[in-house]
Amino acid sequence: MGNPSTHAWVIARKELLDLRRDRLFAVLVAFLMIATLISVGVAAASFRTQIDAYNLYVQQLIAAGSTTKPAAPTFFPLQLLRGGVEYLEILGALFAIVLGYGTIAKEKYRGTLQLILSRPIGRFAMPLGKIGGLAIVWAAVVLLLTAATTIAIVAIGNAPLQPIDGARILIAAIVAWLYLVFWSALAIGTTALSPRLSTGLIVAIVIWLAFVLIIPQIGDTMDPDNQVPGGLFATLQIQKTDELKVLANFAGFDAIRNGLEISSITKHFERLTFAFLGIKDKYNQQTLDFVWTDLWGYAITLAVAAFASVAFAVGATTRRTLQRKIS
Amino acid sequence: MNAFMVSARHEMLNARRTRTANLLLVVFIGMVIASSVIGWVTNQTVTSVYQKVVADGLSSAPNPFSGVSPLYYSRNAVIYVLLIGSLMAIVLGVQATLRDRKAATADLVLSRPVGSVARLLGQLAGLGVVLAVVIGVSMSISWVIISIINGAPLGWGDTGRLVAFSALSWILLATFALLGMLTGLRSRQETTALLVPFVIWSVVAFVLPQIGTAARPVSLLNPVPAVNPTGGYFDLVSALTGPLSVTEQFKRASGIILQDSTVTGDATPSVLILLSFLVVMSIVVVSTPRARMRSGLDG
Repeated sequence: MGNPSTHAWVIARKELLDLRRDRLFAVLVAFLMIATLISVGVAAASFRTQIDAYNLYVQQLIAAGSTTKPAAPTFFPLQLLRGGVEYLEILGALFAIVLGYGTIAKEKYRGTLQLILSRPIGRFAMPLGKIGGLAIVWAAVVLLLTAATTIAIVAIGNAPLQPIDGARILIAAIVAWLYLVFWSALAIGTTALSPRLSTGLIVAIVIWLAFVLIIPQIGDTMDPDNQVPGGLFATLQIQKTDELKVLANFAGFDAIRNGLEISSITKHFERLTFAFLGIKDKYNQQTLDFVWTDLWGYAITLAVAAFASVAFAVGATTRRTLQRKIS
Repeated sequence: MNAFMVSARHEMLNARRTRTANLLLVVFIGMVIASSVIGWVTNQTVTSVYQKVVADGLSSAPNPFSGVSPLYYSRNAVIYVLLIGSLMAIVLGVQATLRDRKAATADLVLSRPVGSVARLLGQLAGLGVVLAVVIGVSMSISWVIISIINGAPLGWGDTGRLVAFSALSWILLATFALLGMLTGLRSRQETTALLVPFVIWSVVAFVLPQIGTAARPVSLLNPVPAVNPTGGYFDLVSALTGPLSVTEQFKRASGIILQDSTVTGDATPSVLILLSFLVVMSIVVVSTPRARMRSGLDG
């Protein structure tokens, strides 16, 4: 156990052991799991309500003597995952921050930090071990969520899945893992830099608030179609092709709105997962090649952001910052 | 000066001195102000979109924004109260009660002839004043900006509605501050004290409305309240989850008060629900035993 990578691995293993015993962590994962499963169930119930309404409408048309049958609502199983993806982007990020904060805070609270730093460990062993441990934990959590939601789609949604759907879900899981590692690493960095522990957590939460909730919310609110319940264009009975033609005249406004949205890492995560899962209409039933060709830039920025966040955490978590007076 | 007043003043002093609380306050005030500008820019664009639709002969439907209230420009403030304001109130609440337990000053304070109810109510009153000042400042600036956008000062009616919205915001934020105070009193760790109210907030803001309305979590960040789909399951569940969805009740009541044309109905039931939660939370917090207030943290 003499080289730096071994030291980092020892710290990572200790992190895994701590989290396995941590009730708070278990509660957070259980909450995320329940919220995600509820969203699948609610989406399936919502679709059944649409089908019931459609059947009723058809019956009324037949009773009125009409021979024209409107198109039935189409069911795409992976679209049941939309709510779950949104929970991951909001609550998953929040929980990732809490775990990142906790991994540094517990060493300070328990007084074990001084003990660890009294050993001859390398400069990067501590942050790399902590981040590595959390990355493994998030991989396990994402796999668990993926398995549970896949089963839920089949069982609750009563929807058959094709092999290609498995590939789509797997890609979305990898994207989710990168996103969660980004937030945990960011929280490790802010906690290490903050003289007061709670300040580190609150600063990370303010960043979460800005990039996960506020910036996407501003973009969402500025969307002309979101100004009326049910959608502006639906209210005005405008077809999709006409809607796009009209909006082409407001490209400047849309560029500002889109610029705001893509300044948030959350939107990169959302757009990638929505595209690969076919939740976004434009990418529904398209090949993986088509989606990748269109959105590879988002994949690169998400990966770079995750790497930058890890680099920030590694750079910020030094003996000097960790050994500041605890308050 | 009695224990109530001393506690209230001490709380105000602490809120002024805490940098993280100040950061949240500045973000909140800034975003409420920005919401007026965002509302104005969006309204101008949507009006232009409608004019283009009509000019192209694509629709003859009436403009959904004709005769829109000047207060339309502050509709986004509703969502910032919900997002930033609630989290700010939680942080203030947690810090208020956790501070004494962390520093073990609760032992010192309660060794004096101080009643626990007076102490907690005093802290709540102090937080209430801080929240009222923050809301008052942000709404006053919002009033000025809306008046500038409209080219004339807001009339008494609209000003009254803005004041009513401020009062409603205070009720919601005080409820979340109480939630923070409660977890600050009950939690054994600082992380748990901060995290539990955040989780409860996310359940109230996202999970409950989704169960009752099938609204997606992200769409709940829109100031327009979620619309219930009609159908057996949702009719039943929304009747149960609707009153518990405090944030959706706040959106509904605020929309009606601010004359948002997309929100219809009577604001009274929603206001009563919000007041009920405030009263219940106040009773729960002030019922905290002295021993709990003096309990230390596990680390």
